[in-house]
Amino acid sequence: MENLQMLFMGFSVVLTLENVLVTMLGAVLGLIVGAMPGIGSLAGVALLLPLTYKFNPTTAIIMLGSLYYANMYGGSFSAILLNIPGDSPAVMTALDGYPMATKRNRPGQALFTANMSSFIGGLIGMLILTFMGPLLADLGLKFGPAEMTALLLVAMTSIGWLVGESPTKGVVLTMVGILLASMGMDTLTGSPRYDFGNMYLLGGIPFTPFVIGAVGFSQVLKLMEERNKKVEAHIGQKLTIRGSMLTLHDFRRLLPPAIRSGFMGTFVGVLPGAGATTGAFLGYAAQKAFKSEEPLGSGAIEGIASCEAANNAAAAGSFAPLLALGIPGSGTGAVLLGGLMMWGLNPGPLLFSTNPDFAWGLIASLFLANLLTLVIALGIIPFLVKILTVPVKMLIPIITVVCVVGGYSTSNSMYGVIIMFLSGLFGYILDRNGYGVAPMLLAFVLAPLLESNMRKAFIISHGSLGIFFEKPIAAFLIIVLFAIILTPVIKFVLRKAGVLKK
Amino acid sequence: MRKIALVLTMALLVSVAVFAGAQAEAQAGGAFTPSKNIDWYVTSSPGGGSDIFTRTIMDIAVAKDLLNGQNVVVQYKTDGAGEVGRLLVSQLKAGVQADHTLLTFNSGDLMPMVKNTNNRFENFQPIAHMAVDKHLIFVGEMSKYKSFEEVLAALKRGERMVLGGSKGDDIACHAALIAELGVSQDQLSYIAHDATSGAITAILGGHFDLLISKPAAASQYVEAGKITPILALSTSRFPGNLNSAPTLSEFGYKNVEVPNWRSIVAPKTMSAEAVAYWTDVFKKVSETEEWNKGYIEKQKLVPDYMDAATFTAYGMNFQKEYLASIGKDK
Amino acid sequence: MQTKKITSKMVIPVVTAVIAALFIYLGITKYGFWHEVRGPLPGFFPTIIGFALLALSLLAFLGGRKEEETKYPIENWYPALGVIGIMLATLVIGMLPSLALFVILWLKVYEKYNWKTTLVGLVIIMAIVIGAFVMWLGVPFPKGLIYNLIAY
Repeated sequence: MENLQMLFMGFSVVLTLENVLVTMLGAVLGLIVGAMPGIGSLAGVALLLPLTYKFNPTTAIIMLGSLYYANMYGGSFSAILLNIPGDSPAVMTALDGYPMATKRNRPGQALFTANMSSFIGGLIGMLILTFMGPLLADLGLKFGPAEMTALLLVAMTSIGWLVGESPTKGVVLTMVGILLASMGMDTLTGSPRYDFGNMYLLGGIPFTPFVIGAVGFSQVLKLMEERNKKVEAHIGQKLTIRGSMLTLHDFRRLLPPAIRSGFMGTFVGVLPGAGATTGAFLGYAAQKAFKSEEPLGSGAIEGIASCEAANNAAAAGSFAPLLALGIPGSGTGAVLLGGLMMWGLNPGPLLFSTNPDFAWGLIASLFLANLLTLVIALGIIPFLVKILTVPVKMLIPIITVVCVVGGYSTSNSMYGVIIMFLSGLFGYILDRNGYGVAPMLLAFVLAPLLESNMRKAFIISHGSLGIFFEKPIAAFLIIVLFAIILTPVIKFVLRKAGVLKK
Repeated sequence: MRKIALVLTMALLVSVAVFAGAQAEAQAGGAFTPSKNIDWYVTSSPGGGSDIFTRTIMDIAVAKDLLNGQNVVVQYKTDGAGEVGRLLVSQLKAGVQADHTLLTFNSGDLMPMVKNTNNRFENFQPIAHMAVDKHLIFVGEMSKYKSFEEVLAALKRGERMVLGGSKGDDIACHAALIAELGVSQDQLSYIAHDATSGAITAILGGHFDLLISKPAAASQYVEAGKITPILALSTSRFPGNLNSAPTLSEFGYKNVEVPNWRSIVAPKTMSAEAVAYWTDVFKKVSETEEWNKGYIEKQKLVPDYMDAATFTAYGMNFQKEYLASIGKDK
Repeated sequence: MQTKKITSKMVIPVVTAVIAALFIYLGITKYGFWHEVRGPLPGFFPTIIGFALLALSLLAFLGGRKEEETKYPIENWYPALGVIGIMLATLVIGMLPSLALFVILWLKVYEKYNWKTTLVGLVIIMAIVIGAFVMWLGVPFPKGLIYNLIAY
């Protein structure tokens, strides 16, 4: 309960006029940056960092925090409206968000769902952070290479659920994704791998242009078929907030996934190396195990809710190791850490004792940012939905330009544009032939984590498999893994033997 | 059509003439002062150590009006793990642009560059060496060993152990250490993480026993008592709360150190006057209070200004030793 | 056996199989598979995945022979051609002018909109790009050969 008291003190720090205004500013900027494909939260936070120099440290940190946080909200906008994820966690949001907006003709509701789920997920994450922050961080520490390998193997099995109708094709692409991700600098040996002598490939294939191309630009190519379709007059579709609101039934549908993902996402955010993207993915994959009213991938509310809640929760969760231990969970966290240190505030084991007003002020500001961003995001829904009424013929050049610019901005070079272009062609051809690119993208993100953790585990164990069974957490997860893999096999055998009914 | 072609040709000729004229002016001799924006390249992402280094120097130089009122544009070129950016700078042709181009360059950039590409230190014009950082070995609360004596004893018994750190110069440090101790890679293995924070996370969780880190990343954990320094990889002990760690020479070995230096270089084709100008600018920066208190102390670095000539010799020697250590001859 | 046309559904698995074979080969010969003490080497994981991919590519290939041909409408390739055009034009006139040119050509010449609509579309797009990416985030877009020649 002492934590609650500290939290209230934190609120008193935050709720000054200046700080509230700054939080709002950070939220708006974060939303915009987050929505733009090509500028992910890392670049966004780093580029906006200088803006915060003008303010005193506490205010600056508050702005930075709300900026980072609002980024997570913004990514879903372009994912839902244009099928171009604004940042990597939003890849999952696009899977259900875009169909819901277009095929089911409920764009306002899709955005509303995303925002509400983000809010709920973030709220859960922050509450957990408040009461259990340091504890959670310590728990995260227990997840070393062996444990992460086991966990990620479990996660990889759930990619299987994403493959849709043709498992063969889905798994083929998963493998391709893994191989593509292995190109570049191999951290563990410090040597390049599969770079084919090309200097650019030394750095591997950058994820953001890859996603923009495979999902966004291939989408443009597909859209060419629809350009002559008349834009149906949306009679009766009120482009107001009223018209975008969710029914009570919708709301009931989004709550369970959002809450589940909130808890799960927070925990994922605490884990070393796993960030919002992993969180969103696991949230979505976990949803497959539960009932959704409409099938996932067709525009189901549960789909949007599960991944949006998870990615915001993971963002909140990643503050736990950052504040309690001074360990940034991701590149963005590292930038935040750098910013904090520049103001002489050193996150870490000593932070809560030496600078309590700052630490709790930051946490309180996250709550405030969560609320403010929700309000702002909901408010601009009607405006955003108007984007969908733009005729397809116009959209095509617009999105093309955005893809090119986004591809360029990641690394400020034409390399990004080339990757975007090639993955666009690649994605389009694959899509035409019934290969969905989602498994490939997710494998691209998860596989390097899995591989590096596995290799580290083997270095620690000096080449023996024993480490996976000696460490309790890892052993537990391996058992879960076998359970997941063997269950369908056992079921199959039992059915054939007549023991189980079909 | 022909008229347009004529006009275009004239325009082209005029611009070429202006361009050539400007170049001639630049080489006309006399002291150099910046006459346009300076392009400063950073080959890693914004927010990282090199970025903070660059921006700190830039801010001080602008504040002290050392740049003749010109601005610095920081250009991030992270493609190919930074190699593309380095190659770009090394290949700039002589002229006004070359005189207004700088590159942040650390030992952690040099090592992968010579290991994985054909680019070499001599393709750049060293301008100023600014600061240096050395390493220490730490143990965590859950480590099996509590001091370096115990580590040595365990190694002699044939026990295997794992050292974790970041990529880059930490790897070279580990290699130098095991060479001096006479143990093999297999006995004292190394795990490289993307950043020291990853290694610190792992050691706090007790996943391996030894950590190598530079003071900046580790000091707050030492404060909090979570990790303890047991060996200083330097020629003398470190100050402050790291003072308890002995150097290798106290155990009867030769001291091992692979300093992690931070510096600024320029294209090889930069004019001599510009080189003299820039090396002086950075000398002035290195003497300011903002630099020493605001950056060096905060980052727990060792200030070590070297002018262009001294740095050239130092850098070439560093490269030679490193190449030898990885088995390349040039 | 009836000879079937070579459809792209059959080509894709062949391509992935080739990729798999390449990664396996390099994995084993160049990057190393397993080390007694150090465990998996850089080639380990990709090689295993490569083998899995090879097997699955075969499955996909066999399956692909039975499926119907994929159609590739020719218009769908136009945006791709547009992007190639943008990339080439960027080298000469810089990215921002190339993008503007693309938008104008697309809307006016291809979609045959009138000048007013074309300009509206152009203004909106350039506002987004310039406002957000250039002015605010300061992304240094390539300026093209001509600018570089003139500027110095």
